Amino acid sequence: MQKKQGIMAGFFKIFMWIYSLATFAILLYLVYNSLRPRNDFLSNTFGKPESLGVQSYARLITQDHFFRYFFNSVIILTVSLVLLILISSITAYGIARFTFPLKRLVRVFFLIGMMFPVQLSVVPLFLMMNNVKLVDNLLSVILISSAGISLPVFMLTNFFEKLPKEIYESAIMDGAGEWTTFFRIMFPIASPVVMSVCITTSVGIWNQFFLPLIFLKSDSNKTVPLLVTKYTGNLLRNVDMSMAVSVLSTIPILILFIIFSNRIIEGVTEGAVKG
Amino acid sequence: MRKFFNKNPYLMFLLPGIIVYSVFVVYPILSAGYISFFQWNGYGPKEYVGLQNYKDLFTNSNLMSQLGNALKNCLTIFFLSVIIMMPIQIIMAYTIHSKARGSSFFQVAVFSPQFISTPVIVFIFTLLFDGSFGIVNKVLRETGFGNLARPWMGIPEYGIYVIWFMMTWAGMGVGMVYFIGAMKMISGEMIESAYVDGAGFWKRLWYIVIPQIKGTIFNLILTSYIISMTIFDFNYILGGSGGGISGSVDTLALMFYRTAFGENSPLGGKVSVNAMGMGTTIACVLFLMVFVVAICQIVLMFRTKKED
Repeated sequence: MQKKQGIMAGFFKIFMWIYSLATFAILLYLVYNSLRPRNDFLSNTFGKPESLGVQSYARLITQDHFFRYFFNSVIILTVSLVLLILISSITAYGIARFTFPLKRLVRVFFLIGMMFPVQLSVVPLFLMMNNVKLVDNLLSVILISSAGISLPVFMLTNFFEKLPKEIYESAIMDGAGEWTTFFRIMFPIASPVVMSVCITTSVGIWNQFFLPLIFLKSDSNKTVPLLVTKYTGNLLRNVDMSMAVSVLSTIPILILFIIFSNRIIEGVTEGAVKG
Repeated sequence: MRKFFNKNPYLMFLLPGIIVYSVFVVYPILSAGYISFFQWNGYGPKEYVGLQNYKDLFTNSNLMSQLGNALKNCLTIFFLSVIIMMPIQIIMAYTIHSKARGSSFFQVAVFSPQFISTPVIVFIFTLLFDGSFGIVNKVLRETGFGNLARPWMGIPEYGIYVIWFMMTWAGMGVGMVYFIGAMKMISGEMIESAYVDGAGFWKRLWYIVIPQIKGTIFNLILTSYIISMTIFDFNYILGGSGGGISGSVDTLALMFYRTAFGENSPLGGKVSVNAMGMGTTIACVLFLMVFVVAICQIVLMFRTKKED
């Protein structure tokens, strides 16, 4: 059936095309200019490029150790994510599966973290990390990131509560212990929710700026977002490097996103609806 | 030990979470509240001063004007987000929901900036809005509006709007996807019958869609308040810890950072005798402003859960 949607709908469709195409055009513009030498870009921004080449990338990777920063980011992300998922799913399962005194209070307790801005706790956290000599160590950022379990616990608790009791009972009847039941049966069942928790938290951990800024001091421990600010802090000298590092830290992730976009957007929506 | 856990299996599952969460989330919060009652520079001896830090913050004219200015900037971002960004998100979500051609492309394009880290977003905006090599000025000059060209990123009066614009581009997709999720819950029949009745675009949106996604709208308004009050990254990258020229992009979180860790670098530069005391005091005031709204949100979360 052909629906008549009206002029306004048509207008907004055009607006969406412009908005979407502009977003991609901006990214392409970034990629294109990252291939130009610095002086050519600065003095002749909109003219015909003198030459195109990957010299900025070469310098970024060989001299400026891009991959060291990249691996720091990767280590922080993977370890934090594994810990966070493990802790939050075990906790959520514990809350949802068993009946125990003060259950409501425990649920609220785990939500507290959501209403406190990380800035509030950063002074005590810094003093704590300083005491155990973890300042300027990836572990400090990893530990703090993986303790942000408020929202994951909430979402996973809701999920586990809705599971029929029979699944658990038949597993126990077959002689499986509590942990076996959890890891072999319950955790796999929760994988869609775990997926959407992974998506929402990993973006945050990967792009986080505040915690690494405060806890990671030496260049060998810094993450990609910090490397970006090192260049963008002095654009006249480093505009070429800024573009190269922006492209290298952004485009691969965007390509991954575009490939898996259906699943990712679905995951975020699920999280929004269920959480 | 073993017997105890066998008797109370729930503790076995709860303990790891409770320990990690208490050490890294709950303890620091309580500790920050505690430190705010002391005069302390972070390493020397602490001196108990009671509520003096709070009194100072609200009576010292310098601190007060910083606080007022930062609060004004945070609220500006909040209001712009609710008044401009949210309606755009709803309309975008509705356009995608009504299966316009190119919907999945729109969804990917609008959501993409979510994956770009803040420093890169600030840099991309510099490429667009810079005074000398920015595209916007180039376009203005080419189209005969050359007198409007200016160094957009460098003018203090524009600072907070530039920040808002960057945040909006980066965050547009998340809210939109949430709205799409909410719209999927509306029964197709309702929209169908509205078409039959010949309701126009605005009528369908206002009388049928909006009432059905009220909960999501309310929830996102609260979220956007919390984000606006605690915003740090964009402002720090654009304006440094000083909050830009004459505090044009200053925020509460930046003021806290500057007070606690000094103006120049984290734990370097000039740190006052009461850096940690006053820093945590500002953090606690910030928290109180977020707290009230956060409580509403948590109540809302539990309520929507019950309705399932």
